Amino acid sequence: MKHLKISFLIFILSVGIQNVSSHDGSPHVTTGKSKADSQEACVEPTELMRKEHYMFLLHQRDETVIDGVRTKKHSFANCIDCHVSYDEQGKAIPINAEGQFCQECHVKTATNITCFSCHAAEPRFPQHSGMTSKMNSNDINELVKHINNDK
Amino acid sequence: MINRRNFLVKSASALAITFVVPSLLSGKAHAKKPLAQKVTDKQSWGIHVDAGKCVEGCTACVDACNEENGLTGFGRPETDSQWIRKVTVKNKTTDKITTMPMMCQHCENPPCCDVCPTGASFKRVDGIVMVNQHTCIGCRYCMMACPFKARSFVHETLTQQNTNAPRGKGCVESCNLCVNRIDHGSETTACEDACNKAGHSAITFGDLKNPSSKVRLAIDSNSPRRLRNDLNLQQKVFYSNI
Repeated sequence: MKHLKISFLIFILSVGIQNVSSHDGSPHVTTGKSKADSQEACVEPTELMRKEHYMFLLHQRDETVIDGVRTKKHSFANCIDCHVSYDEQGKAIPINAEGQFCQECHVKTATNITCFSCHAAEPRFPQHSGMTSKMNSNDINELVKHINNDK
Repeated sequence: MINRRNFLVKSASALAITFVVPSLLSGKAHAKKPLAQKVTDKQSWGIHVDAGKCVEGCTACVDACNEENGLTGFGRPETDSQWIRKVTVKNKTTDKITTMPMMCQHCENPPCCDVCPTGASFKRVDGIVMVNQHTCIGCRYCMMACPFKARSFVHETLTQQNTNAPRGKGCVESCNLCVNRIDHGSETTACEDACNKAGHSAITFGDLKNPSSKVRLAIDSNSPRRLRNDLNLQQKVFYSNI
């Protein structure tokens, strides 16, 4: 019985450790290239963003919808602009598609994302997302310039 | 040669040009809100519709609204989202036919907000009545409460939404006076732009609290009325020539 208890404890601990460490150290494997790939840091320290990004989004969403604050730093649209990947043809890949930035991590942590039932999963550039999903390299350069200017 | 008098006159002129003139000019222009600043009640947005200029059969405002907010239909007019629609009415006594756009009337006393169980229907401090879709539970009480049938419910799963107009299944939505544009400093709505472009200029948008704004000038010169004034909702959409 004692052995059973110990092995159960070891099992629980190992599962727990796996869950905690499932994200740490292992880099994202996403297809395509994004602007974020070439950046050294996100808008907040990476560790903080990994664990608390939803808190920033939650705070910003109320400020934006209710008070009309439109700053870019914690803006959801800005996250998409920077983290969305483009395929070899320069076409934006929806960020919630399989193997993409948001989806990849949320699958790993078994968390459902509901943002994209309402929000666009592709960038807004130049004005309306979804309508300009085909982008060439010039467009991407302009997009990068546009995002940098926004900050 | 510069003498004392010349020097003083020129310095004063230079100072005036540098500081006084720009401040006078910016006083007249629409002061753009910094993106980090919260909206205030110093402005109150509204619309004046001159039904006399609205043309029957023209749907420029409706098309522009659909384009701006990514409203795509599913071929089901009874339930497809509609933030602005054209209404044609006939006076039975005089046979006069009037056509005009109808959208959320942005009431000062909005019945939709009174009945909302979650507070998702709310009035921003600058007077825009809108739906916080993060907290809307889709009960549709507001749709029943609105005397103008201004609100729509999203029945279908949506894809390819516009970044500037997030919207999804299970929420109620309506005209928000192009809130994203206004917050970014625009002085026009999509419907107003389209109406002007079509050459009708029936829709005028602006700040009701600014006596020299184009909407105030239009209201002051047309003596318009509110629809269903008996309900005392104090709407911010005014109609002339109906």
